[in-house]
Amino acid sequence: MMDVGRHPRIKLLAYSEVEEVSGYVGNFKVKVRKKARYVDEEECTACGDCVEVCPVIRPDEYQMGLSSRRAIYIPFPQGVPSSYIINIEECLGVQPIACGKCAEKCDKGCIDFDMKDQIVELEVGTIIVAVGMEVYDPTPLDEYGYTRFENVITTLEFERLIDSGGPLEGHFARPTDGKMLKRIGFIQCVGSRAERRGNPYCSNICCMNTVKDSLLLRDHYPEIDITVFYLDMRAFGKGFEDLYKRSKDAGVRYVRGLPGEVKEDPQTRNLLVTVENTTACRLEEHELDMLVLSVGLEPREDSKTIQQLLSLSRTTDGFFLESHPKLKPVDTSTRGVFLAGCAEGPKDIKESVTQASAAAARAQIILNQDKIPIEAITPIIDYDLCNFCGRCARVCPYGAIVDVDPKRKVPPRVIEAACAGCGTCSAECPVGAITQRHFGDEQIFAQLEAMLGERPEEKIVVFACHWCSYAGGDMAGVSRLQYPPSARVIRTMCSGRTGERFILRAFTLGAPIVLVSGCHFADCHYINANRWTQRRVERLWDRLERASIRPERLQLEWISAAEGQKFARTMRELEEMRKKVTPEEIEYTKQVLAEKV
Amino acid sequence: MAEEAKFRCLRCGHEFIAPYDKDNPQERSCPKCKSNSVRRARER
Amino acid sequence: MPEDEVRIGVFVCECGLNIAGSVDCEAVRDYAERLPGVALAVRNRYTCSDPGQEEIKKAIVEHHLNRVVVASCTPRLHEPTFRKCISDVGLNPYLLEMANIREQCSWVHLHDREAATAKAKDIVKIAVARARLLEPQVEMEVPVTKAALVIGGGVAGIQAALDLADAGHQVYLVEKEPSIGGKMAQLNKTFPTMDCSI
Repeated sequence: MMDVGRHPRIKLLAYSEVEEVSGYVGNFKVKVRKKARYVDEEECTACGDCVEVCPVIRPDEYQMGLSSRRAIYIPFPQGVPSSYIINIEECLGVQPIACGKCAEKCDKGCIDFDMKDQIVELEVGTIIVAVGMEVYDPTPLDEYGYTRFENVITTLEFERLIDSGGPLEGHFARPTDGKMLKRIGFIQCVGSRAERRGNPYCSNICCMNTVKDSLLLRDHYPEIDITVFYLDMRAFGKGFEDLYKRSKDAGVRYVRGLPGEVKEDPQTRNLLVTVENTTACRLEEHELDMLVLSVGLEPREDSKTIQQLLSLSRTTDGFFLESHPKLKPVDTSTRGVFLAGCAEGPKDIKESVTQASAAAARAQIILNQDKIPIEAITPIIDYDLCNFCGRCARVCPYGAIVDVDPKRKVPPRVIEAACAGCGTCSAECPVGAITQRHFGDEQIFAQLEAMLGERPEEKIVVFACHWCSYAGGDMAGVSRLQYPPSARVIRTMCSGRTGERFILRAFTLGAPIVLVSGCHFADCHYINANRWTQRRVERLWDRLERASIRPERLQLEWISAAEGQKFARTMRELEEMRKKVTPEEIEYTKQVLAEKV
Repeated sequence: MAEEAKFRCLRCGHEFIAPYDKDNPQERSCPKCKSNSVRRARER
Repeated sequence: MPEDEVRIGVFVCECGLNIAGSVDCEAVRDYAERLPGVALAVRNRYTCSDPGQEEIKKAIVEHHLNRVVVASCTPRLHEPTFRKCISDVGLNPYLLEMANIREQCSWVHLHDREAATAKAKDIVKIAVARARLLEPQVEMEVPVTKAALVIGGGVAGIQAALDLADAGHQVYLVEKEPSIGGKMAQLNKTFPTMDCSI
């Protein structure tokens, strides 16, 4: 931490938030709001004189509210920057100055009640997202009594209580009477691995954190009896099993089963825990002096803001989605933006540091080059056909199409470096004025004509996106999942590229069934381009129906890169549907659509 | 308030009611066959 | 020969028995040879191997090929390999098309050689149709601003910032809270080595 403060090439903007990001890989422009601290962080020596005179007392967030701080404070003694800060909401008032004692006391005159937020503008080539996580708040799990019983605490509160820099200065005791305790319990998976309440995923760190805490207690207070209530103990990392074994050898009791209920003895303030011990198959009651809830990790609440600022994707659990789970685990769907730490998923310190180094290395691949190439899959606009309607600019997930103005008849312009190549602009253009480099209309038409040139009635036309559904098709192959040989796949970068004209051409050429497939909504590699795919398919269903063509012949499926099973199942189901499409139906479709085109 | 609408699966024909917000497209799947070929049933 | 004549080379990969096990690769090669625009069709045991790639390079030069179709595995695996291969002998990398006759054909129709072969022919035909219309593309280059932004000053952000700065790059580290350190700073000792967090 100190190294960051000292490093000549690191500019630390603490108490600051990113407000705006524009640009693209190699050329991001970022606006950061540096919030007013009301203390000059360069001049402040953290002497602490100001604190002594501040009359405002508030709970200390760093100590989990277990002790207090003043309105002028330093978050913790080793904080970087090593400077005090005034919480202006808590301060007695600065307009007019109602107190001002701290300013009087500060010899160096660091305190400035007129300080304002500043907007700092930065230009950077790459961005690393290391926004971290939140710790699960166990308030909703009322059966554990976190809000009702003072001797039920969370793991983070436990960390503060046992820390020599904590509110008890390392003299561990229980909150209600400040006395040393004899029996302590830990409940695992609080807020984790729960389908109904909390989060469905494993938070990855809590088992080992409890093992660590049990050993800390054993080392300092060997007389305390420790019981851990668990579902499964997961000690998968290097040195973890060893630590777990040490804990068991040291006499820590591990009981498989999560308590159903916690009650408090109003006299002693002890906790009565009822649990079904599933290894011994019996109901047990444990009387404990203190109970620690081993709480899990959650995505940060402001993840959505970051997601929108940087055009990222998140998985269903809310953590940021990596570009590829194995081959590009720190890349994101936005080129030049990388992930590190718990922003990507719950992980321990070692993993966070490893991932951070990986992200830094990936970022350097870009930073060490003077120029970087952009894949040539950007749109080409035919300005003779364009009617300046501006739809392309509206549907572009990246804001890469600019200038277009229907009123003043200004044509659109493509910022090629900002374009990621999804092709949605092309598919949505109502006059067919936009095509895409390397995935041109003529090329896609040629593919359709080739696949439907002979015996079209035996083929199923599949439009698949490069990242997910095509990869799902590959996964079916890798897994040797067998399906009927009727599918013919056209790969585009995104399902957003699948224009109505391609689907209609497929039917005009005699296709019995057409499938449009892409990434699941949460997985779209082009932010939200596949929403337009869905809308387009819905429009086509209506249009087909109006033309007395069964809308069922146009199918839609979201298939992830991992869902080989789903790909194969879909192909089997579509083959059954294909068999039911009659030659008369196909002939009728060809005629109706040929008339319209 | 979330409105509800009737949907029909174009894979298996199953009909069902689900929340619907015109401005906020959702990924939909048929509760019976899991297909995403789910179409909003029109009142006729 | 005319300047704009399309001359496609088709390279059908057997991938050992991965493809040849359920697809008659010679029949596919023979079929490909007679497709419009195809100047040459070759069968290889492993097209992605060094000898396979050498054969492509040699054929491009000797037969004046201006498009290449590789009928093998998924483009998600070897498209970069073959793009590089053809550009080594001066062909624009965008003049490559891959026909996926492994993941999406031979491996999913293991027990029906006839149908798998027919489908493989069709896939090659589709790829050749697309290849005829491929055009060379020039990748645009953009300059790089030599600085990085790290959002978040917890353990991950600190490490990333230090690594980048130590490597000689300017780093901006933005932290929402008044001090860096994140959640880690609140921990007493850390597993598995039981050392201090700060």
